[in-house]
Amino acid sequence: MTVSHDVLSHGVLSRDVLVVGGGPAGLSAAARLAAAGLTVAIADEQPELGGQYFRRPSPAVLRAHGDHRPEGGRLIARVRELGVDCLTGHLVWGVADDGRTLFATAPDGAAVRLRARHVIVATGAYERTHPFPGWQLPGVTTPGFAQHLAAADGTPVGRRVLVAGSGPFLLPVACSLLDAGAEVIGVAEAGHPYTPSLRATAALRHPARLRELAGYMARLARARVPIWQGRVVTGASGDDSVSAVTLAATADPSRPVGTFAVDAVCVGYGFRPQTELARLLGCEIRADAATGDAAPVTDAFGRTSRPGVYVVGEAAGIGGVHLARARGRLTAAHILAARGGGDRREIVRLAARTRALGRFTALGEALYPSPAALQDALVSALPDETVVCRCEAVTASDVRAAATDRAGGDLNAAKSWSRAGMGPCQGRFCGFAVAGLVRAARGGERGEPVFPARQPVRPVPVETLLALGEQEPEGDAA
Amino acid sequence: MSARTADAVVIGAGVLGAAAAFHLARAGHRVIVVDRGAPGREGSGTTAGNLHVQAVHTRRPGQEVPLDSARFLPLQRAASDRWEKVEAELDASVELRRSGGFTIAETPEQRAELIAKHAWEERAGIATEVLDGDGARAALPLLGPTVTAATWCPLDGYANPLLTTPAYLAAAVRHGAQVRPFSPVRAVERSGSGWRVTAGTDAPIETPRVLDVAGPWLGEIAALAGIRLAMTPVAIQMHVTVRLPETLRHLVQHIGEGLSVKQVTAGNLLVGGGWPARRFDPDGRSPISAASVLGNMAQAARVLPFVRELRLLRAWAGPLAATPDEMPVIGEVPGAPGFLVAGGTYAFTFAPLWGETLRCLAEGTAPPVDVHDLGPDRLITPVSFEEAR
Repeated sequence: MTVSHDVLSHGVLSRDVLVVGGGPAGLSAAARLAAAGLTVAIADEQPELGGQYFRRPSPAVLRAHGDHRPEGGRLIARVRELGVDCLTGHLVWGVADDGRTLFATAPDGAAVRLRARHVIVATGAYERTHPFPGWQLPGVTTPGFAQHLAAADGTPVGRRVLVAGSGPFLLPVACSLLDAGAEVIGVAEAGHPYTPSLRATAALRHPARLRELAGYMARLARARVPIWQGRVVTGASGDDSVSAVTLAATADPSRPVGTFAVDAVCVGYGFRPQTELARLLGCEIRADAATGDAAPVTDAFGRTSRPGVYVVGEAAGIGGVHLARARGRLTAAHILAARGGGDRREIVRLAARTRALGRFTALGEALYPSPAALQDALVSALPDETVVCRCEAVTASDVRAAATDRAGGDLNAAKSWSRAGMGPCQGRFCGFAVAGLVRAARGGERGEPVFPARQPVRPVPVETLLALGEQEPEGDAA
Repeated sequence: MSARTADAVVIGAGVLGAAAAFHLARAGHRVIVVDRGAPGREGSGTTAGNLHVQAVHTRRPGQEVPLDSARFLPLQRAASDRWEKVEAELDASVELRRSGGFTIAETPEQRAELIAKHAWEERAGIATEVLDGDGARAALPLLGPTVTAATWCPLDGYANPLLTTPAYLAAAVRHGAQVRPFSPVRAVERSGSGWRVTAGTDAPIETPRVLDVAGPWLGEIAALAGIRLAMTPVAIQMHVTVRLPETLRHLVQHIGEGLSVKQVTAGNLLVGGGWPARRFDPDGRSPISAASVLGNMAQAARVLPFVRELRLLRAWAGPLAATPDEMPVIGEVPGAPGFLVAGGTYAFTFAPLWGETLRCLAEGTAPPVDVHDLGPDRLITPVSFEEAR
């Protein structure tokens, strides 16, 4: 959707609040703020709001199967009813020299400057991918892609599918694949989360969350889908596309334990916060020792080191949809309070809920292996000839050599010398593995967890830059 | 800790330090190279890698004093000759390409400048050819309608900076040099008739010669030795598009504005020209200026209209050390025997020449080019580095 011309004045949109990212967190914040009378805009690069979790099914799927997440549809409808300017199809890719104005590209390539007193970064997460020999073959996807295809388009990613990686997300993906008509030959989970201790820990305060997980387990059991624990994918093979996938024990990834005939395999190790925009805005970042990721430093209200800039949802740290929505609402309530409005009790209630959900997230995380530990295990077993950076065709041995011989264990230097992460995806797919390889070259000592954030966040048409240069509105400079 | 000794300590593992270490080590000197971080990661790892043989545009955006092209050209000529031998000397590919370059003009004044510089180039023995606008477009149909004149120089080219510094360092190491990355220099003191350099956690090094080639930190290192030099660290920007099929074989520069465009071996188009970053950050990555992105890319799209169709992939900033007169600095610091400095703009183009020159200056032999007027004496100042910055 392109914004009508009365919304934009010479390519500039100014509002009380700008939300970047129209997923659960961003929508929740926007709805609360707009309901209180603030002018709010949401920018999202996708053609429709919802983000990954509340992604809207296509009209045909909606007619045939109904809405798999009707609460998402209701939230989007409410945001629209409240008069929020919904800049769908708008890619926010950069920050002007004033450190506040954001640059976006509209679906037609037009350039847009976005300004607001309060900027809420709700950019969500990337899937945590890890390379293995053959991961560049057609038919190898992420669980998120398979979920998107199954839930939004009703299409399974393959006929015989293996789902692998780590984290609770693998279970709903396997169920969606079953619903879409695929044969799921198994779910390979790197850790050992599905034991009686699961009930003992998580069920105490959150029976609803446990029921959700148990529901998926029951669905898989009915379809006789095995769940293999302590297993990771270490290879895929095939001529034109994937035809076989090899599993190994997480504890010893160099020793294969089984090979399965498949026509699709979905591998993902959970999610990593998408922090580029927060970093371009100058927000302080910390390295998370457990996940091996970068996370913005935020307080309970989503405030960052930059006044007026908030980070909510998965971009602030992975916690799931319920925590994301609660964080979005809490940030909104805080903004209202800071403007002299809002409701004290609402903040107290939301803060308590956010804390409780945060505790549950921590309990859930404790069930699965920590991503940083998995990073170490998978990286150490990664064969030298594996293509790590698919954009630039850089192998594990290239990265190892660059990190050891030339970069002195510096992540950004390893990127320069090897070209890993220099392609169109800017390291979104290989970044986690490259960071792991560099860390191994440094003897395990932790350094920078992610590549530096660079403008543009995604490749941007030069035409857009030319249009921005011609607009030259006042007050863009630092 | 007991002291180590070396014939020369090179401070800064950028392209100048690497080239100097190579020339010294090959001549049999015991060389230790120290760097505050990973080798070749600052200016030498962020530069575009242009080999400028014809006269360069005389002002970066924001530059106050024009450089002296007539003085520059004989040095460019000497550097050009040495680049021819670099890959053989180092036994490594640096993706050296001498596919020639155009310097373009858009105004009558710029056209006059092209003609003037052509005369200096002839005098320096650099072959260039002056073309009118249509002639330039016939030679390079990618040029847009605003181009009114151009000079063509077949010697202009490109080397991959991400290969060049490592290749120099590797060759230096083969000749016995030691490289100590992540070893910030903590002290440079007089010691007898020589110097004592303390870097990182290593034992101090006793040496008769210190080569300060620390790029943007050149002044800071000199200050450790009690020498105050007027050098200003500046961060400039580079822009790279997504890959495209081979389209532009030549380097394209602008005589009157900061603009250089070329297509690198990987296929990406690299757009630069010295546009300033938002600020110079000595402790991390200098943040880029969006205004410079927009300005530089607009120029590129005006001079080479096909750029409009591309997508910008990434922008980054890298540091350089500017002198007040914009001319290079190379030589021994008066009153500080054995303390040599080299730096200033266009260090990448000059690297093979300055590497050899530094060896000669360190040995006390005649350098391959006359550099008596480029010494650091003109930069000695009572103003401290911090104040200059």
